[in-house]
Amino acid sequence: MNNDKESIFLPPEAILIYKIISEKKELEINELENISKLSRGKIEYNLPFLQKHDLLDRKERINKYCSLTKEGEEAEKNQLIERRIYNLIKEKKKVSFAQLGDFIKADKKELNAGVGLLRKLDAITIEKGEISIKLPEKDINLELQQYLTKIKKEKVSYSDKISPLVKRGLVNVIEEKQSFLIIKVPYSKIKSRIKELIEVGRLSSNMLRDGSWRKTQLKAYNLKGQPPTYFVGRKQPYARFIDTVKQKLVALGFQEMRGPIVELEFWNFDALFQAQDHPAREWSDVYRVSNPKHGKLPKEEYVTNVQQAHENGYNTGSKGWRYKWDPKKSSRLVLRAQGTSVSARTLVGLKIPSKYFSISRCYRPDTVDATHLSEFNQVEGIVVDPSITFRDLLGILETFALDVAGAEECTFKPDYYPFTEPSVELSVVDPNLGRIEFGGAGIFRPEVTKPFGIDAPVIAWGLGIDRLFMVKYGITDIRELFSHKMEWLRSTKMV
Amino acid sequence: MVTIKASYTKMLETLGKNLPIEELDRLLSFAKSEIDEYVEEEDMLVIDVKTSNRPDLWIPEGMIREIKGIWGEEKGIPKLELKESDYKVIVDPKLSKSRPFIACAIAKNVTLTDYNIKQLMQLSEKIDHSYGRRRKRSSIGMYNLSMIKSPIEYKVIDKNHKFIPLGYTEPQYLETILETHEKGKEFGYIVKGYGHYPILLSADGLTLSMPPIINSNDVGRVTEETTDMLIEVTGTHLGTVHVVLNILCQTLGDLGAELYNVTIEYPKEILDKTIVTPTIEYEEIKINLKEVNKYLGTKLKPKKVEEVLNKRRFDVKKIEKDMMTVLIPPYRTDILHWVDIAEEIAIGLDYNKMGPTKWKVLTTGGLLPETESENIVRDILVGTGAIEVITNTLTDPEILTANVNIEEDNFVKISNPVSKNYSVIRNMIFPNLINVLSKNTHETYPQIIFEVGEIVKLEEGRTWTQTNAAYMLADTETSFEDAHKVLDQMMKLLETDYNLIETEHPSFIRGRCAEIQVNGKTCGIIGEVNPEVLEKNQIWMPTVGFEIELPLIPSLECKKKYTY
Repeated sequence: MNNDKESIFLPPEAILIYKIISEKKELEINELENISKLSRGKIEYNLPFLQKHDLLDRKERINKYCSLTKEGEEAEKNQLIERRIYNLIKEKKKVSFAQLGDFIKADKKELNAGVGLLRKLDAITIEKGEISIKLPEKDINLELQQYLTKIKKEKVSYSDKISPLVKRGLVNVIEEKQSFLIIKVPYSKIKSRIKELIEVGRLSSNMLRDGSWRKTQLKAYNLKGQPPTYFVGRKQPYARFIDTVKQKLVALGFQEMRGPIVELEFWNFDALFQAQDHPAREWSDVYRVSNPKHGKLPKEEYVTNVQQAHENGYNTGSKGWRYKWDPKKSSRLVLRAQGTSVSARTLVGLKIPSKYFSISRCYRPDTVDATHLSEFNQVEGIVVDPSITFRDLLGILETFALDVAGAEECTFKPDYYPFTEPSVELSVVDPNLGRIEFGGAGIFRPEVTKPFGIDAPVIAWGLGIDRLFMVKYGITDIRELFSHKMEWLRSTKMV
Repeated sequence: MVTIKASYTKMLETLGKNLPIEELDRLLSFAKSEIDEYVEEEDMLVIDVKTSNRPDLWIPEGMIREIKGIWGEEKGIPKLELKESDYKVIVDPKLSKSRPFIACAIAKNVTLTDYNIKQLMQLSEKIDHSYGRRRKRSSIGMYNLSMIKSPIEYKVIDKNHKFIPLGYTEPQYLETILETHEKGKEFGYIVKGYGHYPILLSADGLTLSMPPIINSNDVGRVTEETTDMLIEVTGTHLGTVHVVLNILCQTLGDLGAELYNVTIEYPKEILDKTIVTPTIEYEEIKINLKEVNKYLGTKLKPKKVEEVLNKRRFDVKKIEKDMMTVLIPPYRTDILHWVDIAEEIAIGLDYNKMGPTKWKVLTTGGLLPETESENIVRDILVGTGAIEVITNTLTDPEILTANVNIEEDNFVKISNPVSKNYSVIRNMIFPNLINVLSKNTHETYPQIIFEVGEIVKLEEGRTWTQTNAAYMLADTETSFEDAHKVLDQMMKLLETDYNLIETEHPSFIRGRCAEIQVNGKTCGIIGEVNPEVLEKNQIWMPTVGFEIELPLIPSLECKKKYTY
């Protein structure tokens, strides 16, 4: 501080802080917050004025204190393992090493460590696997045990005596940074020289219009402070992911298709050559609608052809399923159980060549848990062209693996769908997570395509994007896809 | 999908090779199966068989048959030696309308270890359940042959008949078995549907079983001491009972049994002929190699195709230029069309070795106009600072009614929900948004959320799916105009003139709620949420919002998707 008699200009709040600290000589910044009733931001803003005039000093100190780990909590409650073992042996006189686990509930590793400790303390002897007491009536590691209790009850500073507990993973050392403000020149000494500084907080429209901003000093802000919480409007992370998948499929030349949520069994199963008594059509595998129970079947021509495909193979050369097909069952209403029903609807008047995709909500009567949802999204699609082959299908899947999933490698396995032949499962190799099933595909059976007058092969494919999204975003609970958590909705990373 | 359990070491023993799990898993893929889990302590593999159409694969013997083919250790259809027996089954004409068909075989000198019995039981159960359609279409029975005298009668019997069902000590009336036995309770409905009781009797009157419910406790108990067995399949479909018996015989043959046939005497009401079962006949299917090559994208020669099909346990009977006559193993039921043979060829070639070919179908891609329209609305709402949510379309009826003060339940209901929480399909979105707000009362405000999503409507017996957009804002201070200004700006950007017509709606405050009308048609609702609703949902902040039906906005291209 210079010695002259010049006035020192300080903002009113800086003067208030100055007075408080002067009174205490030394003050921790949190306490200052309590006493002054000023926010941390305001304090941080005002302190530099005082520091600039060399009125006070600021010192940072690191304070180490202790807290119990999960294991520490247990040791506090049940006693340290060496104490438990020692007390047990004291009571039983002799215990075989192998039997320790029968008396003391602890894992093998912990028991071994306990016995090791006791041997080091020379408190026990082990002969032919039998443990007995060497030092009678000793309170083993009592001091450590007391420390545990103390740490649980109050804030204990770290000291070397606690270090064995830290090494054993029972106690964590927490470092707390504290800022101390130390007065260099007390307020009373220079009281007469302190003057209030008038500053302007905000630039106003009027100041700009009348030019008064030229004569005014604008308060400097503390630019290191935290801004108020703010959330931007944004798309739901999973919805956004679906948007990007759609974008990729469109770029690959696929046209979008959509269908209704409430679906006729005809489109969901019959048109896909799933026999009416197929287990996948049972009560337990598909949601049925109770009001109304039945809908109207499509154009009779298609219904008759599908019926024949089931009963005798229609004109395909297939044997069919050889049973009496029931239109009533086919007109039952269900919740769309597979996205392929949207593809089935697209078979009517299908353009050749063409490529389609849909991302649709599908429903299965599963109990909702971390790996099952009652509704989920399926990406499905078809590719039709008179020249297309099974090897082309493998090529399409390879493109999906590389372009959509971003994998480096993919493998194929035989699979089964009632409506495709051959059927194939696609797995991708993720650099971090290894092999994951990513999709399935096949060529629609002629029993599926011919009833709709299609003579060209139709490749049908599906991708599991729920899984892919979870892998990419590190989500382990599938319920998060439809999360209600505002925190997640607001703050999930976008990149 | 069918899940079975098998011993890892026993599988390796039968394969005669020591294979790591990964390699076994790779080989099992040729049998459309995969290892889901390996429980090392129990030496147990949990294997998922992906096909519901190949009951022959639901036991390790079936999978091993496939693997040995792929290895080239065994080729073509496995041979099964059948000997003649004097055993005969006489079928009662009264069964013609209920469960008319039966197929039987005898297996002698079987080594039945505890493991083998468990595997056979597992196979029977899986076949009965899935392929046998929960025993309705077919069911399997196995018996101790030494206690059975020929001819066996498969007949309808009086309800006063009694026998000791498996697991019991005292004889029970048939009706009692249906009412009290565990299996009777599970499958009794099948027999009740017949209106009479089918029974299998030994010539000396001893009861074998009441198909398809339960075996007797003595004849129908197969143990490690049993060396000779009678196997029987009854059902409603002749082809099914025959093929199921074939699967069992092939499996027992693989386990080292000597197999004998049984004569089934049908009355004229059913078949009017005698059939000797098992009927090991090889069905034929013709394939045109040109078609197959075009389908798969391959250039295979007949010789190569024969070699590959042999690997898949098929035989080739005849090759005439491009036409090949293929013989189907008698345990396979899934070959309906030549495309099924094409798949066998592809599997035999190994999908991973066929070589994917590059795209050749060039088309222009695009989103549907309705998706583009939805995206416009989403962009506008994100621009207002709102956060998008996705909620369940399958939801709890309470959320759509009581929670928002609404009585009508004009939405699609599920007749077989797993839980009430997921038992109806929403007909509007804003109740879901209120539910989201109710779950976040500990988070900072304002909370501004929206959803553009599908709902299902129900009117005069017709249902359709359409997209709605809903917006909700909750804050310490908010009022009608906060929702109104968002709606107003959105409508302006969508070039849509609209009117607000004051209305009453139980979810909103009277006098602060309006119908949104476009061209005189109601297309949505806007208002301040009724404090009663807020209290019920424990939302302690004033909340405003709106919902609009996008198909009713003329400048957008959203359409109703009718189910029929």
